[in-house]
Amino acid sequence: MGSKVPGLARLTALAVAAGLAVAACGATEPEGGTAVGDPAQPVSLTFWSWVPNIQKAVDAFNASHPGIKVKLETITPGPDGGYAKMLAGVKAGNAPDVAQVGYDSLPSFLVNGALQDITEYAGDDAAKFVDWQWQTGVFGGKVYAIPQASGPMGFYYRKDLFDKWGIEAPKTWDDFAAAAKTIQAKDKKAYISTFAANQAPWMIALAQQAGQQWFGTEGDSWKVTIDNPDTRRMAAFWQKLLDDKLVKTEADMSNAWYKDLQTGAITGWIGGSWGDAIIRGNAPDTAGKWAVAPMPQWPGAAKTVSASWGGGSASAVLKGTKNAAAATEFAVWLNSAPESVNILLSAGYGWPSVKDTSQIPNLRKDDTVFPFYGGQNIWDVFKEADAAVTLDWRWPPVSDALYASLTDNAKAAVQGEGTLTDAFARTQQAMVEQMKAKGLSVTAGG
Amino acid sequence: MAEVLRHRGIGTEAAGAGERPRRPSRRPRAHVAVFVAPFFVAFALFFLAPIGYAIHQSFFKLTSSGLGLTEPTLEFTGLGNYARALGDAAFTASIGRVLLFSLIEVPAMVVCSLALALLLDSARARFRAFFRVSFFLPYGVPGVIASLLWGFLYVPQTSPLVDALAAAGLPHDFLSPGMILPAIANIATWQFAGYNMLVLVAGLQAVPPELYEAARVDGAGELRIAWHIKVPLLRAPLILITVFTLIGTLQLFVEPLILKPMTTAINSDFTPNLAAYNQAFGQSDIHLASAEATLIAIMAFVISFGFLRLVNRKGNRAW
Repeated sequence: MGSKVPGLARLTALAVAAGLAVAACGATEPEGGTAVGDPAQPVSLTFWSWVPNIQKAVDAFNASHPGIKVKLETITPGPDGGYAKMLAGVKAGNAPDVAQVGYDSLPSFLVNGALQDITEYAGDDAAKFVDWQWQTGVFGGKVYAIPQASGPMGFYYRKDLFDKWGIEAPKTWDDFAAAAKTIQAKDKKAYISTFAANQAPWMIALAQQAGQQWFGTEGDSWKVTIDNPDTRRMAAFWQKLLDDKLVKTEADMSNAWYKDLQTGAITGWIGGSWGDAIIRGNAPDTAGKWAVAPMPQWPGAAKTVSASWGGGSASAVLKGTKNAAAATEFAVWLNSAPESVNILLSAGYGWPSVKDTSQIPNLRKDDTVFPFYGGQNIWDVFKEADAAVTLDWRWPPVSDALYASLTDNAKAAVQGEGTLTDAFARTQQAMVEQMKAKGLSVTAGG
Repeated sequence: MAEVLRHRGIGTEAAGAGERPRRPSRRPRAHVAVFVAPFFVAFALFFLAPIGYAIHQSFFKLTSSGLGLTEPTLEFTGLGNYARALGDAAFTASIGRVLLFSLIEVPAMVVCSLALALLLDSARARFRAFFRVSFFLPYGVPGVIASLLWGFLYVPQTSPLVDALAAAGLPHDFLSPGMILPAIANIATWQFAGYNMLVLVAGLQAVPPELYEAARVDGAGELRIAWHIKVPLLRAPLILITVFTLIGTLQLFVEPLILKPMTTAINSDFTPNLAAYNQAFGQSDIHLASAEATLIAIMAFVISFGFLRLVNRKGNRAW
């Protein structure tokens, strides 16, 4: 996977490869930008997604591309069975042409042989997308998926309560711990946040921001480094908050948590950019009292570092499609045409993967979102956060096993069976075993 | 499989006449075949075929190599998946957990449904029809809804029950590791006790009234009649509901799945069924999931038929 190669060099290599591919294909392949298909006999594509209201974007594509007819089929969200359905579809030979696949699950799909190489059709589209998001669909220099959206992290907090208690939004993790203490001192029932042991992507984002990444490649072998010094430092930080009872341990996005948001028992949440809708939807009576700050930073960081919740989502072209060119054109348009991105943004699908967001009106003025956050343009915070996501994060081909193992181990730690540091060490061990069981070549590091 | 079929009397039917001394041999009649054929077709398609396919799948595994960039190959691994499942501490722990759960749930269920049935059947019971329907109503509530409903009653932030118990100084942390099994047992009992009660009530209605009359003439009170006449005569339905409950507890799935997001006490391998589900739909390992599912089925057969043998050995046969 060549994670040692800097992103730019990889992109250049890719662009060259794509250029060669286009040149080699000559006149038989359409030039970039020319629409595929003949309006008289349109190519039919099937698209599987669970994003609410994505039909509007599909309709807009069909209206502007008479040569391609895309049919949307709504499926259950990937982790809840949608992925199993896709993989079964590929196996049975009746998979959709394009499917919604999370960044974290793309390597699993690749290992299952379910992705179509679309390098020759999509290579020159790389420049349209944010580098790190584009890279999530690239393996071994080949393009397999077009990025759609990510979930850059920020700190949502109750500004009214913070003002009342004389606390500012924490800039560093030390500030965060100090604020947690102050909040408990001012109100025994209030907490700065919960430690969400139920959320693997959340804990991964914390580790991702702390520094050293979890998965890398060395030659033809995976290297698993979950139990590394940076992650241990992050784990020890949260363990201390847990020991001092300065954070709650309930599951986030659960009924108990929603109730705590409404009553002010939870006064902050380190969440993804799409989290604004979750707070708005579940604590409507707290409108105007919230604000968003960047994720707290570790001391000594040269520049702001952020992370992304579970990566994000891509439009992957699945193995077995007869129309890879048309499928790629659809996937690229869906995720980069300003018309489409604007529709998807207001549907709450996450942070756009396109570099140029100047054509997206909802990002500048959003009358449904900004008033809830006291008039703050919270998208500015997430725009910077998305730009500050580390480039070298790699998902393993066993992300589901990673999620299950990490939450199980973290839940045990929260209950007092060992510490969070142990939980990450145990997760590393489980991952190495899991990957070995799949026949992959893997080593453990730290 | 053959074990099940024999018990259900299916294999013997298909084996044909001749070797079975107990029944007189009969000439097969064509019109009977026309009536039973649809059942056997459906049975083969929707019961035997999926089971056969699952068992077949359980003998294979997908193997990748290196980084996994090339397509994986399907390999025959024999009993490898079974060894992997049984060697997985989390999976074996989940088996232990459901066995422990059976120890709580089976007696609770039998006692509750028996008590409800006897109360309804007692001579002084009033508004029988009303109570019978009331006790039975929870059975009409889907398991998912029942778990959600009880979940709200278990989560401190939304529960009036927890507040009341806390005020009275009683244990009320239902979602803690120590209380989670009884909390799930409570949901299951609430849901199915009414159904099992109906089975017992039906059994009681088959008791000839002369028995009660004779007992009353001899001066027996209601309690005595219940204990010395009704309960012994309910032996067969009691064994039946015990087996039902036993199989139900081994297949525990919906309640922990729904309660999982509300507590840290339930992990993804909490019960064997949940572990198989997690393998199949979370981790896309259909082969290991098939092996685990087969193990659960074998376990359910062994334990339920073992129980039947045990109770039937002590003299009087249940049925």
